[in-house]
Amino acid sequence: MASTYVKSITGLLTAGALLMGATGAHAADRVKIEWWYAISGKLGDTVQQLISDFNKSQDKYEIVGTFKGNYEETMAAMVAAYRVNQQPAILQSAERGFMTMLNSGAIIPVDQLMTKQGYKTDWNDFIKPVAGFYIVNGKPAALPFNSSTPILWYNADAFKAAGFDAPSDTWQGLEKQLYALKEKKITDCSMALPGDFQWSLIENYSAINNYPFATKANGYAGLDTEFVYNKTGVVGQVARLKKWVDDGVLKIAGQGVAPISLFTSGTCATIINSTASHSGVEADAKFKWSAAVMPHEEGADVRNGTIGGASLWAVKGKSEEVQAGVAAFFNFVAQPATQEWWSKATGYVPVTNAAYQKMKSEGYFKDHPTREIAIEQLSRGEPTDNSRGFRFGNHNQSTAILIEEIQAVWTGKKTPQEALDSSVKRGNEILRQYEKLHAGK
Amino acid sequence: MPANNAIMTSSEGAAARPRLSLRRSLGSLVRPSEAGLKASHFRRPWLAAGLLAPQLLILLFFFFIPTWKALSLAFVQVDPFGGTMIFVGLENFTTLLSSPEYRDSAVLTLWFTVVQCIATLVIAGLLAFATDNVLRGRAIYKGVILLPYAIAPAISGVLWAFLFNPTVGPFAQMLHELGLGWDPNRRPFDALLLVSVAAIWKHVCYDYIFLVAAFLAVPASVMEAAAIDGARPVRRFLTVTLPMAAPTIFFLIVMNFVYGLFETFGIIDTVTRGGPAGSTNTLVYKVYQDGFRQLDLGSSAAQSVILMAIAVLFTFLQFRAVERKVNYQV
Repeated sequence: MASTYVKSITGLLTAGALLMGATGAHAADRVKIEWWYAISGKLGDTVQQLISDFNKSQDKYEIVGTFKGNYEETMAAMVAAYRVNQQPAILQSAERGFMTMLNSGAIIPVDQLMTKQGYKTDWNDFIKPVAGFYIVNGKPAALPFNSSTPILWYNADAFKAAGFDAPSDTWQGLEKQLYALKEKKITDCSMALPGDFQWSLIENYSAINNYPFATKANGYAGLDTEFVYNKTGVVGQVARLKKWVDDGVLKIAGQGVAPISLFTSGTCATIINSTASHSGVEADAKFKWSAAVMPHEEGADVRNGTIGGASLWAVKGKSEEVQAGVAAFFNFVAQPATQEWWSKATGYVPVTNAAYQKMKSEGYFKDHPTREIAIEQLSRGEPTDNSRGFRFGNHNQSTAILIEEIQAVWTGKKTPQEALDSSVKRGNEILRQYEKLHAGK
Repeated sequence: MPANNAIMTSSEGAAARPRLSLRRSLGSLVRPSEAGLKASHFRRPWLAAGLLAPQLLILLFFFFIPTWKALSLAFVQVDPFGGTMIFVGLENFTTLLSSPEYRDSAVLTLWFTVVQCIATLVIAGLLAFATDNVLRGRAIYKGVILLPYAIAPAISGVLWAFLFNPTVGPFAQMLHELGLGWDPNRRPFDALLLVSVAAIWKHVCYDYIFLVAAFLAVPASVMEAAAIDGARPVRRFLTVTLPMAAPTIFFLIVMNFVYGLFETFGIIDTVTRGGPAGSTNTLVYKVYQDGFRQLDLGSSAAQSVILMAIAVLFTFLQFRAVERKVNYQV
């Protein structure tokens, strides 16, 4: 009995080994490179397409892409994996995790990697707001990948029915339009609150109107930065949003439904959401829709918005040949042709001037005018310390606090001023904790 | 009460056996008289050790190592990647205990757990009592009640969230038509109610199975005697069935507490994400949020240490307080 058992096991193993050998014949000499990414749905399909295009383009390396959940979940998976030396070679990490990654000691700055592997990347070709975010001391730390910015999406049919050609470019004008949409009973929901409203309606709002969000150039000039958004127009913005919520003009989607689907289903007439919603809106919205730049305050000194999205990080602790593969893939991603294809397929901003100019000269933006809005918004005015971007340690934590405090405004527990005071106070504790831990970096 | 007795003896056994095997493995160093009669059953200590090994390994990997990790992180502040670490003593704890958000979360958790525990027991008790009086389609009746237990918490959570979503949910529309301003995104009580109902709905079936079994185990002779004495069904239930089912009820109270404290995580994550403004952010969910979402590992570890202390304390108190009043004899 025992011997037949052993025999059948060995038989199985041999068969398995043979099978492996047969299928692995092509892939055997390819270097496998793990990439953990964080975008799903249609965007995730596009990522898989990008990977398969790269794998087909050469026969030395094979990128193995794995979806690890949203940005926060992917980061948590990375942290857990890094501590037991099981990290991927490439990580897609959101702009909010920039400082965490930068000071993690777990990464190879992209410029260093590319130079070492013999690639010449023209970092000056990256468009200004993108380069401004990812370049530290003149050198980029990560490869800008999917960069977006929030834009104002609107239901053109609903606006026409209310007698408007397009949304107003000021918050004051937009307010009148949203209330008119409701009063004329064109829609029961004039605007949907996006899930990442702190990014669009608070942070980008602050940058566009040139208000300081924190001292030390929003964290660019040092870890000893302090939040100050409780002393700026942000307070009035939260009060305005609260009024809209109370009047039923602005609807909070809540759990169980994606805010953007409230727009694409026609339930809500507008939403301020990422430009990367293009692929979804184009596929799902069954009405005439359009988009516009985010509004600003009347008489404001209007500046550029800030970017969202994510970048690709080369992770430490990998063999020389894997690093060479990472560099080859990064080089592939940074090519104007790839950038152009990626931007068209997703709605993300083309991150290099070369790709942007190529799309422009082809007349792509004439046929797809809403695709250019993000770039227009990102390059409005000369960037200031208030609009360049945000560099805060443990930004995820202070963001979660900001959201929680603003929710207390929705519930009526706190006034906008009380909530933002508390949010700034708690946020500053996070910044001090980070400063203490990373002193001298 | 078969179910309950089995659990009691197995837990006593688990506590007793490691001690015995340890003594046997130490061999003659231990005075034989103290080893007692039971120890003599294990002539070969390695057999006892081998039989215990799977359980001990599970404890090692899922209890002792995580506990050690939590303890070692609770007194430091650390970069998520482990690059920098500063020993801060009790600072993580003092920061937590002085934070109003943490205190709110503790009060909320207590409220939620107690309400959930009582409501689940009462509803399951009523359904179990009614089981005896359902004549036709009893199997269907039982099946329908047990169904929710087969649904994964995350899926049921998403369904609850969708059905009661104030913008698109059909049940929310009904509530609005009744003139109720239902909105779990803006009204903390609505959010808490929704989470509680979802948690209770999911757990009623568990209590129900145990209670049906406990009620069935009441000897028919006792019930008949009560009936002959003129007790009506409700009175028989209150004065005969309930006291005899007390050990099961005690067991369920403990299990409901454990469920409410630790296992409602999936429902909260899908139904409210702890919002609005932390109004459904229970202690366990906060550990997850702070640790895995925000990567504040020091604070998260300190919170799990506090939570562990609470769990130990509660179990101890419950056994001490309730066990004395429970009659295990049938």
